[in-house]
Amino acid sequence: MSQLSTRHLLGIKDITSEDIRLIFETADNFKEVLNRPIKKVPSLRDITIANIFFENSTRTRLSFELAEKRLSADVVNFSSSTSSVKKGETLTDTVNNILSMKVDMVVMRHSSPGAPHFLSKNISANIVNAGDGTHEHPTQALLDAFSIREKLGDVMGKKVAIIGDILHSRVALSNIFCLQKLGAEVMVCGPTTLIPKHIASLGVKVEMDVKKALQWCDVANILRIQLERQQIKYFPSLREYSLYFGVNKKMLDQLDKEIVIMHPGPINRGVELNSDVADSEHSIILQQVENGVAVRMAVLYLLAGVR
Amino acid sequence: MQTFFNMAKLLRSLRFIDEKSVNSPRDYIYNGFEIFEKPENFNEEIDESIDCSGMMASRGWIDLRCVTAEPGEEHKESLESLGELLAYSGFTKAVVLPNTHPAVQTKNEIQFLKTKSEHWTTELIVNAAATKDCKGEDFTDILDLHHQGVNIFGDGLNPLSNPDRLMKVLQYLQKFDGVLFDHSYEPLLSLFGQMHEGEVSTRIGMKGIPNIAEDIAIQKNLEILRYAGGSVHFQTLSTGAAVESVRKAKKEGLKVTADVSIYQLLFLDEDLSGFDANLKVVPPFRGKEERAALIEGLKDGTIDAIVSNHQPQDFDAKHMEFDLAQPGMIGLQTFLPGLVKLSDELDWPLLIGKITSGPLRVLKVKEMSLSEITVFDPSETWQYDKRSNLSLSANHPWYGTTVKGKVKFLINGERFVKL
Repeated sequence: MSQLSTRHLLGIKDITSEDIRLIFETADNFKEVLNRPIKKVPSLRDITIANIFFENSTRTRLSFELAEKRLSADVVNFSSSTSSVKKGETLTDTVNNILSMKVDMVVMRHSSPGAPHFLSKNISANIVNAGDGTHEHPTQALLDAFSIREKLGDVMGKKVAIIGDILHSRVALSNIFCLQKLGAEVMVCGPTTLIPKHIASLGVKVEMDVKKALQWCDVANILRIQLERQQIKYFPSLREYSLYFGVNKKMLDQLDKEIVIMHPGPINRGVELNSDVADSEHSIILQQVENGVAVRMAVLYLLAGVR
Repeated sequence: MQTFFNMAKLLRSLRFIDEKSVNSPRDYIYNGFEIFEKPENFNEEIDESIDCSGMMASRGWIDLRCVTAEPGEEHKESLESLGELLAYSGFTKAVVLPNTHPAVQTKNEIQFLKTKSEHWTTELIVNAAATKDCKGEDFTDILDLHHQGVNIFGDGLNPLSNPDRLMKVLQYLQKFDGVLFDHSYEPLLSLFGQMHEGEVSTRIGMKGIPNIAEDIAIQKNLEILRYAGGSVHFQTLSTGAAVESVRKAKKEGLKVTADVSIYQLLFLDEDLSGFDANLKVVPPFRGKEERAALIEGLKDGTIDAIVSNHQPQDFDAKHMEFDLAQPGMIGLQTFLPGLVKLSDELDWPLLIGKITSGPLRVLKVKEMSLSEITVFDPSETWQYDKRSNLSLSANHPWYGTTVKGKVKFLINGERFVKL
């Protein structure tokens, strides 16, 4: 198979495990390109991509922009910290205005779950979901799984614990779908108020004790506390969260095995993850960032192929 | 739509349904006021003979819950369009909710509704706000409004969630045996909720509204009813536990009745996986088990009525991101097609009972005369689209599809309406 089964990347839910494998194989090639002295390939020449971000983002937008530029695409950026509807313009109007300038692909981040799905029914360009509210963040899950594969050789059969604010995390959902499609076992761990009540229906284990989760897993993906997405209080204080759900070096030293530590960033140092772990040899956080560019190049390249 | 006044009609081969049975086809006479079975030696002059083969008839249908957007948002539904819609949809009586701008809370608004609906074929029954602007705080002038002919009070789309307010309204209404209509749910447990909380909401990352938001509110309000006395009618039940609470309360002898939205019986939460904002409603579509409990509640009489819960929203209020879209679905023109779908599972006498004798019990009306009749064809198909849609809104997932079931005639006293 050399083509994706879909013309949009809306979520991991909507793609097959073959799609994921194809993305990984393509990303392997692009990673090799990124380590060359000349990191640019002409694959998307004459393709214009709009990065439309309705939520603040630094690394995802930068990662996409780099991926696009290294594929020789023309890039335009649109950022707004509020949804367009709050400014009196609808999402379709905003995007159609940008598309009128002959844009071929749209990379969109939006605070509403399903916003890229809505858009996909109303515009003709390819859409890449760069995060939609508390729903999915498919390229993050792909780069996470790609990084696990790189570090441990395979994702199949591995035990991955996702620790932290699961309720407000699009990374958690996409990771669950992606890891399960690749044959990994998934556990979620955090305060009960930050774990969706029905999460077990997705076939994941649920744990409230971080130490037990760390003992169980091969890989711990520590999630950021999404204070910006919490509309009400879910736990008493950051201090208490850090004491009972934060991961530190001492905890890792107590384990009878070595585990891999991941974090999608940006890290709240001293809250969900201590510096002595984030900067340790267990951590592959910076490799995740590096892989992000290669994986996003693969996604954009393959989607352009099904235009 | 053609309306005839005081004209005699012969309706041939019509199957009459009541809450107990479906009669075999017979001929009926409409004498310009009411209908009756044609006597053998009937020799009086009639103006028209109509072949009603394949059609069914029942006493006129009653909708206990629909919204008009006038005054305030006339572009979504005006009283003129609502009147036409109700007639086309087979309703001879309809309770209209108070959630307009301004809310239906003074003599002026009631007079406005009465004047605007004077020419309607359907009788408009006012549900006046129990609290000012339906905010659940200060009471409206309930007795004053009752003297304008209002017997139903409640805040419509908003629950009366303050227990003190609910208790006092229940007590106050007892002076004239009025009924409190309440769509009970606990707002603090529904905060930011967009759909039913369950596997589907988890899968699509949408903030959920748990069953207990409704379960707790119904239990709490039944306790208050037990203490304060009075009559309460729970609108749009959606959970099995709520049905069970009402079932027990009825057995106990409390003055409680309940209804369910027709579309609550036609859709499930899993239908929302594609983020179609037309399916965003309150209460939210729930899972199969809850739906089965609602069906059971209809069968054993716990749920007295099926309502249209007609809530118009214009294109711009729905054509957007799911969590930003307004809730609500229209439900009048699709009401009969909905009943036809349900008739695979529930028999016609039961369905008809839920829109005739059941609502009458809720409204505390003893007997309905034979001067209100709805005649319909359950097998006629029609295209539900821009041409046939009579609402000013189109927020229904069946819009643009072919549906089955068409209301043919509506009789309300001296009016005989061909649809």
